Amino acid sequence: MSTVLSVADLRGRIAGWIGEGKVVVAPVEVGGRLLYQALSAASQAVFDARRRPANSIKEFFFPRHEPIFRYRLEGKEIVLSDVAPEEREQIVIAAKPCDAAALPILDHVFNWDFEDSFYTARRARTTVISLACAMEDDACFCTSVGSGPADEAGSDAVLYEVEGGFEGRGITEKGGGLFDRTATVRERCEDATVRSLTVAVRKGEIAKYLEGNFESPIWKDLTLACLGCGACAYTCPTCHCFDIVDEGNAAGGARVKNWDSCQFPFFTLHASGHNPRSAQPQRQRQRLFHKFLIYPQKFNAILCTGCGNCERNCPVGLGVRKVLEAIDGELRRVDEKEPVQA
Amino acid sequence: MSFEPKIIAYVCNWCTYLGADLAGTNRLEYPPNVRILRLPCTGRIDFNLIVKAFEMGADAVLVSGCHPGDCHYTAGNYHARRRWILFRRLLETLGVETERVHFTWISAAEGKKFQQVIGEITEKTRAMGPYAAYQVLSGVSK
Amino acid sequence: MTERLRQTVRRLLAEDKVKVVIGYGASKAGTPAPPIFVTRPEDADKLEWNDRCFANLSVYLTRKEVKALGKAAVVVKGCDERALVVLEKESQIDRSALFVIGMACDGVGAPKCAHCQVHVPRFADEVIGTQAEPPAPPNGPNGLDRLMAKSPAERWAFWTAEFSRCVKCYACRQVCPLCYCERCITDKNRPVVIDTSATPKGNFAWHITRAFHLAARCIGCGECTRACPAGIPLGLLNQSLAQATVENFGYRPGMDLAAEPVFGAWSPKDKEDFIG
Repeated sequence: MSTVLSVADLRGRIAGWIGEGKVVVAPVEVGGRLLYQALSAASQAVFDARRRPANSIKEFFFPRHEPIFRYRLEGKEIVLSDVAPEEREQIVIAAKPCDAAALPILDHVFNWDFEDSFYTARRARTTVISLACAMEDDACFCTSVGSGPADEAGSDAVLYEVEGGFEGRGITEKGGGLFDRTATVRERCEDATVRSLTVAVRKGEIAKYLEGNFESPIWKDLTLACLGCGACAYTCPTCHCFDIVDEGNAAGGARVKNWDSCQFPFFTLHASGHNPRSAQPQRQRQRLFHKFLIYPQKFNAILCTGCGNCERNCPVGLGVRKVLEAIDGELRRVDEKEPVQA
Repeated sequence: MSFEPKIIAYVCNWCTYLGADLAGTNRLEYPPNVRILRLPCTGRIDFNLIVKAFEMGADAVLVSGCHPGDCHYTAGNYHARRRWILFRRLLETLGVETERVHFTWISAAEGKKFQQVIGEITEKTRAMGPYAAYQVLSGVSK
Repeated sequence: MTERLRQTVRRLLAEDKVKVVIGYGASKAGTPAPPIFVTRPEDADKLEWNDRCFANLSVYLTRKEVKALGKAAVVVKGCDERALVVLEKESQIDRSALFVIGMACDGVGAPKCAHCQVHVPRFADEVIGTQAEPPAPPNGPNGLDRLMAKSPAERWAFWTAEFSRCVKCYACRQVCPLCYCERCITDKNRPVVIDTSATPKGNFAWHITRAFHLAARCIGCGECTRACPAGIPLGLLNQSLAQATVENFGYRPGMDLAAEPVFGAWSPKDKEDFIG
């Protein structure tokens, strides 16, 4: 048996967590947008299965700016000091499933040839409670990349919107501490609209197309509108490129890790002055390749959860879905000309 | 220890810097709180230099150059004046404490004026206290 | 109007008067019309004109991938066209090598239209449509009035809170037709001038720089505010500088090609009541 929790009940729990000194993250109305933010008051939290925040939860694991060590001059000595990893516990509540599902995908790269202890410390200290989705939005395509409105990947517990409020169920041991893992929940989201592209990012087919079409005209034609900002990369739950910069002056400072976007003109500028991706079509192509070919080849995971943030935040409405649809169109064109042998 | 304001003065080489020098040769004492940065001309002074001074912990900034008509490069100070007219508005809109940003014309002959201006700015800034808002923003610890 | 636009484009491309037409494409209700680049007469039917044509397409005229396509035609609203005037004044476009298709615009909604000053393009090679009614100006105090009514400390608190959401995506910069520097000052790193970090210091430094590099140049199209994924009212900074520019110099960027740009000139009458 599970109890139906009202928004007031949930906010009451949040107030308790904040009182215990935990960082609680939830969607908040601010600046005319819905954005995930660390709460200063439980009353800020918005529980709406029909909306999607314009940002993602990755910044609570992989911050937009993170000092990795500090230095200062003491006399003639340079003294380095470590930055202590995050110690406070975090709870992310009402995360979209497409945001939670990004976490296991990101875990690969942050634990690959080197453990990013800043990231892993936050992962260990954070409990993710997702709110199963009831959104209908043309920009979404989660089911096309193997996710879905009730995807539990990356979630420690899940809330379902039911009549009168929400029902919660623990998934992992961590989540079991907050919500009963044995609770039966009426899963209203099973009949939510299946959101997909005209065809799914079918197993391997998009990847195969990419492999064989480095020089496709799609790269130039479709991506001319791209202005080369970082809105897509920075609001994407799975994008994780970063820049290491030394900040400070002669007296002291820090080496920091900042978000970076592969669409910036100087993303691949070499010290020699050469830039292998000096044109926007090359940069756009790279983004598609990274997400749908290279990352899957390396880690057996698509670097995309179909959340649609890239498209919604793009000032000119681009985003990976449009390019995938174009590729899909190409594949169908080829299929029709040469029907697959049964 | 009472508060000693840090004043950054961006001055032009041909007028205000020489005026400061004249103050020195005439043994006119002025507060040591000012750090003088010499540039060829006020026209060269980028607005970001004012921002940077505050970022690095300055409590007040002075920008000073030749009187209109006397610019060593003919019109540098005129261009600067235009720039300052608009930049002050931007600072006001942002809520920057514009009482901490000062502009003067001080010629090479005005050693006395230099002494007076630095004295006034130092006392005014001492009364205002440190520019805590910008120092918190920039992570400057004092 | 859409059909007339398509006819014009078909003709321009069929007669080889231009190699590419930069216009707006189809979009579902509630989503912005995407910029499209039409190079064949038969693709003219992809063009649309509606109240979701937000983007300022003049931004593409300084992008090298678009310049490489050859002589262009561009679809502009009244606000967008002001950017063309400034770009021409700053020698960034060759007006004689550009075909301007002006659209008589009935508005694309708040907040962009709140400061509309040009409803029908004035210097276009061809104007399509006539304007039924210009967009209604807002009544009551606007965002800037409300901001300036606060105390300086309140304004500082306001911007500190707003900029705390800035992630340094530079959408504001990339979407602006007048931010065309090949290497932005934020990309300078020997030494660093503007911290790239999305910290309070780095964010203030960037937004001060962005606003001031656009002083007396910004034409008020509102794209920066629309593009910001964090919902920061960036346009307020530009607006305050535009107001100061009118008050002090009687200058409105992009209105008159013959007018002397503010920072390219000076006057012995410029005020100096603030100079000691």
